[in-house]
Amino acid sequence: MKEETPIIEIKNLSKWYGDFQVLDDITTTINRGECVVICGPSGSGKSTLLRCINGLEDFQKGDVIVDGVSIKEISHTKEIYKLRSRIGMVFQHFELYPHMTALENVTLAPKKVFKIPEKEAEKRGMELLEKVGLREHAHKKPGELSGGQQQRVGIARALAMNADIIMFDEPTSALDPEMIRDVLEVMVDLAKGGMTMLVVTHEMGFAKAVADKIIFMDEGRIIEQEDVETFFKNPKSDRAKEFIDRILVHI
Amino acid sequence: MAYQFDWSIIWSEPYFRWLIIGLIKTIEIGLLSWIIALPLGIGIGTLRSLPNKACRAIGAIYVEFFRNIPLLVQLFFWYYAIPPLLGTRISRLPNLEWYCAIFGLGIYTASRVAEHVRSGFNSVPIGQRFAALSTGLSQFQMFRYVIIPYGFRIMIPPLTTEFLTIFKNSALAMTIGILELSGISWRINEYTFHGFEATTAAIGGYLIIGLTIIFLMGQLEKRLRVPGLMRRE
Repeated sequence: MKEETPIIEIKNLSKWYGDFQVLDDITTTINRGECVVICGPSGSGKSTLLRCINGLEDFQKGDVIVDGVSIKEISHTKEIYKLRSRIGMVFQHFELYPHMTALENVTLAPKKVFKIPEKEAEKRGMELLEKVGLREHAHKKPGELSGGQQQRVGIARALAMNADIIMFDEPTSALDPEMIRDVLEVMVDLAKGGMTMLVVTHEMGFAKAVADKIIFMDEGRIIEQEDVETFFKNPKSDRAKEFIDRILVHI
Repeated sequence: MAYQFDWSIIWSEPYFRWLIIGLIKTIEIGLLSWIIALPLGIGIGTLRSLPNKACRAIGAIYVEFFRNIPLLVQLFFWYYAIPPLLGTRISRLPNLEWYCAIFGLGIYTASRVAEHVRSGFNSVPIGQRFAALSTGLSQFQMFRYVIIPYGFRIMIPPLTTEFLTIFKNSALAMTIGILELSGISWRINEYTFHGFEATTAAIGGYLIIGLTIIFLMGQLEKRLRVPGLMRRE
């Protein structure tokens, strides 16, 4: 039984790139410990929404409240750095720092942001790499790792700051099928361990297994937000129905 | 009458000594102007990569000014046009041409270095910035630990080319009266009428400098090589 304490509240969020509206009046709440999956066709604003939550992108209307803090108010102050360290992020193209080893990728932020001593940061970094099954690859550079391994380093890096929330932006879209499983397994473990997760993905198997809620977006709007079972069995909108048909049956 | 080759003049005195002195001068001009060009170019290129509009404008004006005027005209400007305006203390300075050549070549090359620096930073994918910032690093830390080390590796090959070019461009210093390698070979021709041999000697000198630089920069590149990032065939 999960307690319903909101950790992210998105209130009437709207964002434009010039004349083009990418986010249109988004309102939703994510509770502590929940795993929320966001899906929808490409260009529907899913990634942009994630980047608004940790202040990587500005928005013009509405607000995002993370654990009581208004992103609008702090987005151009130093406070935003502190807040971002509490929200881990995992990227479609991994975005590991190519000139650093896996371990250095994981320990950079703890060392520089929290000023944790080198030895201690490395010890913790090794634990995290162990957790994602990459202990023996700690001293390799990203270019020497497979895509799936790189993405697991990416997850370890996101965990290294002891974040309250982890956001995943299509974490498996750039991976070969056999590598997707390794990454999803790590994510399922995290979700079962009670981490608050916000996952943009089309892996509906993952959603069915661990998601508490599914948000379906199209053209910058939230079309549906439902628990997983309702979403798959009785999608309310035609667009969601079409989308489910299309991603479940590829041909 | 057919041209009579006499390669011995390259090795005979005083011409051999002249050539060595010319070679050393070419290396000195190249290195000293590079010492101006590299930090200045990095500074200007970084200005052009900052979010601040005023900084970017200053960088852009510098680059567009210096890279759009022929280097020869710039050297003439610094040597013939400016010193008389500064009074006799400056215009009668011994070795004035020496300072003008190094200064002129340095600030001209800085504009080209700045462009490579800017495009190097620009080729760091935006996702790297998102990744760094998402972990809580500040803008400054992101530049210091991610963008600069990544971008610098992208910049090494074009900066190698620029470093080579500065030695080749140093030949223009002969037009304001410096007897560097090119100037010396010209003078040997005037004394001996053996222009072919003298020029060949100069060509050899430039090749030695160029190939040495390529070798050294290759070593640097190898040492900083990052798997998966920029592979040079």
